[in-house]
Amino acid sequence: MRDVMKQLGERRFGPYSLEIQNAETIAILGPNGVGKSTLLKLLSGTYHASAGHICLNDRPLNSWSADILSQHRAVLNQSQDIAFALTAGLIIGLGRVSRVRDIVCDQTVALAAAMLDVSHLLERTVDTLSGGELARVHLARICAQLWDVENGFILMDEPIAAVDPGLQDLMLETLMRFARMRRHAVIAIVHDINHALRYFSRLILLHSDGQLEHIKSGLEAKRALERLYGIRLSCHHDEQGDLVMVPLRRNTSEFKTAKQFQT
Amino acid sequence: MKSVLHHFKISTFFLSLLFVLIFALCALQSGAVELNWHHWSKLIAFGHTMLSSEGLAYSLDGETYVLLHLRIPRVLLGVLVGASLGLSGALVQGLFRNPLADPSLLGVTTGAACAAALTIVLIAEQRILFSVEARAWLLPLVSFMGAFLTCMFLNIGATWLIPSSFSGLLLLGIALNALGVAVIGLCTYLATDEQLRSLSFWTLGSLAGANWTIVPVLGLVLVAVYLWCRTQVQRLNALNLGEATAASLGVCVPRLRWTISVMVALLAGLSVAFCGVIGFIGLMAPHLARALVGANLRALLPISMLLGASLLLVADTLARTLVIPAEIPVGIFTALLGGPFLMLMLRTKRHRVG
Repeated sequence: MRDVMKQLGERRFGPYSLEIQNAETIAILGPNGVGKSTLLKLLSGTYHASAGHICLNDRPLNSWSADILSQHRAVLNQSQDIAFALTAGLIIGLGRVSRVRDIVCDQTVALAAAMLDVSHLLERTVDTLSGGELARVHLARICAQLWDVENGFILMDEPIAAVDPGLQDLMLETLMRFARMRRHAVIAIVHDINHALRYFSRLILLHSDGQLEHIKSGLEAKRALERLYGIRLSCHHDEQGDLVMVPLRRNTSEFKTAKQFQT
Repeated sequence: MKSVLHHFKISTFFLSLLFVLIFALCALQSGAVELNWHHWSKLIAFGHTMLSSEGLAYSLDGETYVLLHLRIPRVLLGVLVGASLGLSGALVQGLFRNPLADPSLLGVTTGAACAAALTIVLIAEQRILFSVEARAWLLPLVSFMGAFLTCMFLNIGATWLIPSSFSGLLLLGIALNALGVAVIGLCTYLATDEQLRSLSFWTLGSLAGANWTIVPVLGLVLVAVYLWCRTQVQRLNALNLGEATAASLGVCVPRLRWTISVMVALLAGLSVAFCGVIGFIGLMAPHLARALVGANLRALLPISMLLGASLLLVADTLARTLVIPAEIPVGIFTALLGGPFLMLMLRTKRHRVG
């Protein structure tokens, strides 16, 4: 991806330049509204770039046909509204829709469902599922889509925002294991700093002035993250020795609204 | 569990098929002219002589003639139009991702009727321009164009004018409906007495125009559209997840939308051309089918067609037997059924949202 720009109404995003290797895991972080989703939509091909080039395996992204492209990259969007109550099994099976004569479809659906622990939900319609179950069904759909290929790309926009903490870790863990086994690259928009540090090898920080900053995941990311969000972080190691960063409470003097509360 | 569900769907399919057959037989039996098995045997004998090519010597009596040239084509047309409306309703609901969408609510059928009305009043007058045979095919063609243009306009509206707002789409449909009705009204005002007669046929809807020419035409179109749907059923299902997700799954969404529009316009346009505006079947049939077999279009499309056929057969049989020897336009019946049904749907939908 080189010098890509996108004009949306009066706002201009970019220019962004980045390169993604096979099997890389990248977290995109940044404050609300700086264009993380736009960047991801450019990568997924939902938006066409107003300027610049996006290439996938040395071929321009828009020269790929939709069905072949879908066998190399999967996208999990932020909001998933399903108009009619399809069954969960059918939704997972839709990941295979671009395959012609897909004889392993049922088998793949069963395997993907088992991996995400939703096998018991296959016959249920989606309007009866909880948020966490639905998120797992959609993740299983992504996995079914890239089940029998290697070196693919998985793009995700806040995949686990509506899921409880225990399930969040389980889902990310499963996804990363799946991606590692098949050498898929994972690019995800993440809001939780610690998820980004724990599961992703590279962080892309999107600053409010539109600049991209590439850093490695780890202790040295602290400075950049503090600058990105305008907060102070305190670093710890948890019981297992993993790095954890916790935002510090702001000084009361920093609250501009404090006076307004008093009057 | 899966096999139980599967069996349930298959038995629903055969049950609906059985219903259509029973309704068709009832419809064949009832009417202004009383018929019994005697006439059927005569008809079969007539068929035999036709096949052995001595046919012309054999003449039909009045009742058997009614059976062959009025009753049977009419019942077949009822089945075909009902199935077309059911199928196009299911397709439109899938396209706009909303259970309240329906070709007649969104103005597609009004668009077709409007084009037909304009043709009757303005163009068909020019007897020099078109021969009688050409005029017979002009109306279906024009209705198709009217339906197609309305579909395209709705499509453009849904993507540009009022992105992702279904109430906006419904309002656009209402606006188009109002426009179409106004144009039809204008045509009525300008029409001569003779034209007025055929205009009211179009606006109220009736299966009385059935004959052995239009039945095979509509049959062929319906089979072709259904076979196309069979190949695309999984893509149509994918549209359910939203356009962005469908596109990421490898579905070429603009092309799919365009093709669905052509298919819906074909079904709705031809139905209007042959029978006029028959509303609400396209709304009721897919909704009932969804309640029976779920939202998967693989099962929903055929069931929706069968239910549409049953509904229209019942409505038409009532329409032509209640006030023998006169006949009520069937569009009035379907609207009488459909209006309360729509209100009921709005009620349950509100419950689900709240």
